Amino acid sequence: MAARHDNLHSRLVAWLKVILPLAALVVLSTLFLVSRTIDPSDAIPLAGVDVEDRAREPRMTAPTWAGLTDDGAALTVTAAEARPGQGGDSAPSATGLRARLETPDGSAADLVAATGRLDDAARLLHLGGGVVIDTTSGYHITSDAMTASLDQTDVKSDTALAATGPLGQIEAGSMRLTESPDKPGTYLLGFGGNVKLIYDPKQ
Amino acid sequence: QGTDVAFAGLKGDSSAPVEIESDKLEVNQAEGFAIFTGNVRVKQGPMRMAAPQMRVDQVAGGTGIERIHATGGVTLANGAEAAESREATYTVSTGEIVMTTDVLLTQGANTIAGQRLVFDIDSGTGRMEGRVQTVYKPGSGQ
Repeated sequence: MAARHDNLHSRLVAWLKVILPLAALVVLSTLFLVSRTIDPSDAIPLAGVDVEDRAREPRMTAPTWAGLTDDGAALTVTAAEARPGQGGDSAPSATGLRARLETPDGSAADLVAATGRLDDAARLLHLGGGVVIDTTSGYHITSDAMTASLDQTDVKSDTALAATGPLGQIEAGSMRLTESPDKPGTYLLGFGGNVKLIYDPKQ
Repeated sequence: QGTDVAFAGLKGDSSAPVEIESDKLEVNQAEGFAIFTGNVRVKQGPMRMAAPQMRVDQVAGGTGIERIHATGGVTLANGAEAAESREATYTVSTGEIVMTTDVLLTQGANTIAGQRLVFDIDSGTGRMEGRVQTVYKPGSGQ
């Protein structure tokens, strides 16, 4: 059986037994040449700034707070960033604040404020740095600062404010959104401190 | 019986901007009305209206003021001429003022008293009804 080596098939197989492994070796070696160089030294991309800042000053990003007032109004507050109180002023503060108050009578008020401070002892949320309120009944009120109570529906502002609404433009010294004392369930938007309303029929 | 009243002095413009000033304002958003309290003063063109309390009704389903109810003693003035009554209702869209109970219309020395005055601001004419008494001082102008 070993004598007849010279037919085509055996010679072919003998050659292939040499060529194929060599080809495999060549392909294997070039594999490492074409592959991307992996540089083990560059770590996972992580912004160093945030880490140091956070370590120095603990905070929450995009926190939300939700609650129900005694008269059944749902208050949800979200912020861009919130920090626990430091030093004397122990109230947690927040920036980029948005609050939504949905009263049981179906209407709602959206508040947007630059800064906010949650005074848990007095159950008050102080909004500052320019506050804007938009109510579903069409009132757009801008003021410097506002205080929203967490326990009952009571949003008030004691600084001068301007408002536009279905009745016209209103300027007033103070504002208060509360439940009507004699008709529970209806909500009144009160303005005080010499109110001035301007309505132009031609508009 | 009623008396037709022509008081050109009280003529105004119901499409002029309305300015309302008061100490306090309470808006009932659900039912679309607002109550001004505390030394309420309305200015529209030459016309002035003052009362301790006014209720303003919003245009139904729209924006703007439909009607102003003034109560508790109303004075309506326009230059030298004035009208007083217990209550008054001014419908801004039509320019019509209805003054009721103890209406007293004065023009210089002449006065007309009655129980109800319906007055159109734009035309300056109106109608006084209910026990009308006119006091006319001769030689005192118009």
